[in-house]
Amino acid sequence: MGDKENIKRILQEAELYQGQGLLNEARLKYDEASDLVRNNPKIKNKGKILAGLSKKINLLEVDSQKVERGPSSPELSSKAQDLIQKLFSFSKEESAEEAALEGALALARFGQFERALEEFDKLMANDAHRVVAAKNILRCHIALDSEETAADKYEVWAKGDMFSADQLETIRIFLEQVFENKGLKRKLTVVQAPAEAVVEEKQDEEFIDISAIGIPLESGPGKGKVVEFDVNFQSGNLLSLIISQKDGKLIENLEVDSSFEDLQFYSPIAIFNGSGVVAAKSEIKAGPKQGDYCLDIKITST
Amino acid sequence: MAIFNLKKREIECKVVYYGPGRGGKTTNLEYIFKTFRKQITGEMVSINTEGDRTLFFDFLPMGLGKIKGCEIKVQLYTVPGQVQYSSTRKLVLRGVDGIVFVADSLAVRRDKNMLSLKDLQANLKEYGLNIFKIPLVLQYNKRDLEEQGIPIMSVEQLDHDLNRQLKVPSFPGSALKGDGIGVALKECMKLTLKSLQKELKWAQ
Repeated sequence: MGDKENIKRILQEAELYQGQGLLNEARLKYDEASDLVRNNPKIKNKGKILAGLSKKINLLEVDSQKVERGPSSPELSSKAQDLIQKLFSFSKEESAEEAALEGALALARFGQFERALEEFDKLMANDAHRVVAAKNILRCHIALDSEETAADKYEVWAKGDMFSADQLETIRIFLEQVFENKGLKRKLTVVQAPAEAVVEEKQDEEFIDISAIGIPLESGPGKGKVVEFDVNFQSGNLLSLIISQKDGKLIENLEVDSSFEDLQFYSPIAIFNGSGVVAAKSEIKAGPKQGDYCLDIKITST
Repeated sequence: MAIFNLKKREIECKVVYYGPGRGGKTTNLEYIFKTFRKQITGEMVSINTEGDRTLFFDFLPMGLGKIKGCEIKVQLYTVPGQVQYSSTRKLVLRGVDGIVFVADSLAVRRDKNMLSLKDLQANLKEYGLNIFKIPLVLQYNKRDLEEQGIPIMSVEQLDHDLNRQLKVPSFPGSALKGDGIGVALKECMKLTLKSLQKELKWAQ
């Protein structure tokens, strides 16, 4: 193959690669062709040919920079956003709340921050996902270049009663870390546990420590039996029990406000009877005890 | 992971087109969208950017009708091939049931093919999936460029580079002309449904 044919072939390759969006490969071929032209004494009009090739290389350079810089995520139509939310809600068959969180996270991942904010706002109503939603709300504001809005949002939460002091501390540490990573020095309000908790603790002391409770079941698979559960947490007259998933059937008929006249309480120093009422019942949606139940029993008399 | 709706006797599975950037994944889906009209159950959604590169993913829903008493729905996806979209690729890959790996036959893309296959293996591993076990086919795209005198790798070379250990079905193809597109998808679906049948036991 003659020199001219060789250069022609290389240029044909370069143009094809350029047409296919293979910009680096095209660039290498244009460079190769330029070298061949430059070093070939037989070629006339070298200056003109090299100038033409240089122009092509410059244009490629501009395109490459555009691609390398990467696009800012475009704001998609609400239809496309709906689709993203639907397609990336992987747990829709198992848990609607978990799926809603996944959908919102996907929207944020795909740069649809405004819409993601709306979805995370809705998730704030959900106890199990509130902290995750809050962190992502802050993350979205920061992605939208509004660090001030993120900080203001935290300060509003810090003044309200939506989060416990522990939760606020988690959120504060998270946000300060994000600010630090961005080279911003912004200190946020540290929220201390409320003073009333101390008063409550004193009141708690009036109640004897209860380690287990026997509940007589009036319906369901355990009808007529007394089932015993360990008390996982006690706050005064409120006992919190974690019921494992496998025992879930035993308590499926217990509703909030169901009352019992003959509960059995087991404490390290005595066993006694009393009455109580179901104060709360919920399924644990996240963490190592996911799928288990949390049952709160309020002691009404002993 | 496919969704099996026992009540409706319906299986929804996910097939992902994976491969290096500018290799022809989106062109594959466009050809399928144009050609298999009967099986297409919705619009093809593409989110592109500068230079028509896939930014997020392409999506195409299909219905294969009833197989062994079960309605089979398939969602086809592509991933963005550019190296910088690693986290998007991983997210799109979540819940995958079958993969068509679209390799670029151009000789200058040899390394990119191998890097993309490694990236696929790593991303599958993060979901606890094994590239040697998942339903997978290879498509060697852009075979038509040989006619234009552009240097492309031989099928043997591609098999040696990409399929030496995997030993999965491989198909030469041209997404632009439509060659080898249907056959690669059909083989992938065959392997995917066989694997799902084993897992979900829907036809017993």
